[in-house]
Amino acid sequence: MNRSKQLNRVGAVSLARWIVVTALLAVAGLCYVYLSLQLHRLGDRKKSLETELAGLRTQNDVANVQIAALTSRSALQRRLKEGYLKMVPIAEQNIVRLAPMRPAPEENAIRPVANEQVGR
Amino acid sequence: MRWNGRTRCALICIAFVLLFSAFSFRLVYLQLVKHDEYAGLAAEKHVYKQPIYAERGAITDANGEVLAHNVPVEIVVADTSHLNKEKVAEAVALLSRDLKIDADELWGKLGSDRHYIVLKRDVPESAADALRAKLQEQNLRGIFFEHDAARLYPNGSMLCHVIGFNDFDHKGIQGVEASMDEYLRGQDGYRYIEHNRAGQEIVLYRGQERASRDGYQVHLSVDLNLQNIVENEIDAAVREYSPEKATIILMRPQTGEILAMANRPNFDLNQRSTAKPEQMKNRAVIDMMEPGSTFKIVTAAAALNDKKVRPDTTIYCEKGAWNYGGRTLHDHRPYGELSVQDILVKSSNIGAAKLALSLGDQKFYEYIRRFGFGERTGVELPGEINGMIRPPQNWSKISITRIPMGHEVAVTPLQMTVAMATIANGGKLITPRVVKSITTAEGKTVTEFSPSVVRQVISAETAKQIGRALRGVVSDRGTAAAAAVPGFIIAGKTGTAQKVDPHGGYEKGKYIVSFIGFLPADHPEFVGLVVLDDAKTSKPELNYGGLVAGPIFSRIAEKAARYLDLAPQPDLIKPNTAGRVASTSAPGH
Repeated sequence: MNRSKQLNRVGAVSLARWIVVTALLAVAGLCYVYLSLQLHRLGDRKKSLETELAGLRTQNDVANVQIAALTSRSALQRRLKEGYLKMVPIAEQNIVRLAPMRPAPEENAIRPVANEQVGR
Repeated sequence: MRWNGRTRCALICIAFVLLFSAFSFRLVYLQLVKHDEYAGLAAEKHVYKQPIYAERGAITDANGEVLAHNVPVEIVVADTSHLNKEKVAEAVALLSRDLKIDADELWGKLGSDRHYIVLKRDVPESAADALRAKLQEQNLRGIFFEHDAARLYPNGSMLCHVIGFNDFDHKGIQGVEASMDEYLRGQDGYRYIEHNRAGQEIVLYRGQERASRDGYQVHLSVDLNLQNIVENEIDAAVREYSPEKATIILMRPQTGEILAMANRPNFDLNQRSTAKPEQMKNRAVIDMMEPGSTFKIVTAAAALNDKKVRPDTTIYCEKGAWNYGGRTLHDHRPYGELSVQDILVKSSNIGAAKLALSLGDQKFYEYIRRFGFGERTGVELPGEINGMIRPPQNWSKISITRIPMGHEVAVTPLQMTVAMATIANGGKLITPRVVKSITTAEGKTVTEFSPSVVRQVISAETAKQIGRALRGVVSDRGTAAAAAVPGFIIAGKTGTAQKVDPHGGYEKGKYIVSFIGFLPADHPEFVGLVVLDDAKTSKPELNYGGLVAGPIFSRIAEKAARYLDLAPQPDLIKPNTAGRVASTSAPGH
């Protein structure tokens, strides 16, 4: 009687060990599934962001094309002809021209210098 | 043999061992021996190489103004295996209405059992989005959209022959689009992706990937402001003289940069499918013409450079008619003694012929070739021709008297411009350039085209002497008084050549009139050429280079000088003489 009781006894330590191992395995499995799902979700997010980015790039390209078309030479000339723009020629007396550059002085020529220290 | 329990058990065990051994062998066979084969077959089902298309580079002018770029569009394709047969009529009705395709054509396409049928290309993004929404709403499957890009030219017909265009596969087939295709095209990338049964990508299983490299940007030397001036003037000339063809070129002599280039007839780059082949020719590089008297600059330069004559050496011009080789050569006026300078100023044919005779056939031919005639200039424009310069052994007895005045030779307008640029540039022959630089989209320089001196054709002193003589052409004494620009000294030369008949001889009453010059004569900023083929003037006697092409050059040069902010000389400012032919009576040749 005593012998059978001894045989059926479940060791608490062993049981605990098994429970911990099983729990760890379960957690690991769940983590694996969770992380896999996360990866898939992130992949989908990445894809949607890529699509969004491509869409934005497309919109940007379309806008650039419209800007180029509206500011093109032929479009501006058409607007000029239609009277939306006006151009006034600059009179010769209103043009200020900078004096042409003087040639550099000879190598040993005396050149005036500004002494910035004195001015302080 | 006794079939006791142990034996039966052993037999069952052996059977299991054999069975599992067979399974194991099969497994090893499949996993190791046939791995690649089956992996390949599986990959074929789910993995495919997705191309990542490179964007074609833009073309800009010298100031960064966009001349050619891309607009995103979509290609509408159909896969009939995904199309519900009962809904074909519905699909045809929708696509026919939205894509403006003939319904019968659509029935033909969608009635086939093909997996990839292009229904329409270059569908704008907005139209594609609207169609996509309608397809979803009506639950129509089997119609897909592919991203693509269409080339757009914001300036339409302006600079059309230089820019060129692409074919359906985005390969350049004309102009800079063709010559710079290697740089503009970029490099497509790819990505190996896996997709699920619904055809959606499983991003997690993305494989090997190579990013695309977008095409480089090509920056032209052409300045659109100068081009606009030239285009307006060539249009005005076409309206006024209705020439068969016309060409105008502006070029910077020191660097060889082409600042403007226009031809007529022309075409709209955005409507090129409706253009005729005649409109698409860049006549500046693929058309030959007899240059006429403009070629005398080569003759005079050769004689001066070879020290056969000096600028003040006088030559007897036979009073307007000279018999040589059994044929009479005429001048348009009877001249007696003319200096070499005056031969150019008065454009004497007899004087030019005698200058060439002083050189001899071979020497004269060598100079013609040294000026770059008879070979391609090397400009980055496809289809350029050599022109036609016959070697002396093929010359007739009178060739030495006809070639000096620009007959019996055929040159391209660009070759003529380069020859004049050589005079303006101190005798250095420069390779003309239409491309200034190539950069990445971010502006990093990839290649920069620096000026390339081909050879020193004539000495700087000779070039100066010719330049001085050419100033006289654009004066009251010369043949191109109407080419003058108030405030500037211009050096130039007129040309009037009878049109060559393709069936032999010359066409009566048809002329190619031209003017070529540079400004300011002392420090040339640009060389300009104006050529009009078969201009119709009010009176035939007004159809001369100095009277037709000269004033056009004058108007262009005046506007260009103002744009380039060239300071005019106050003592030279006087009312512009660049009137129209109908109101001009000054002589011009």
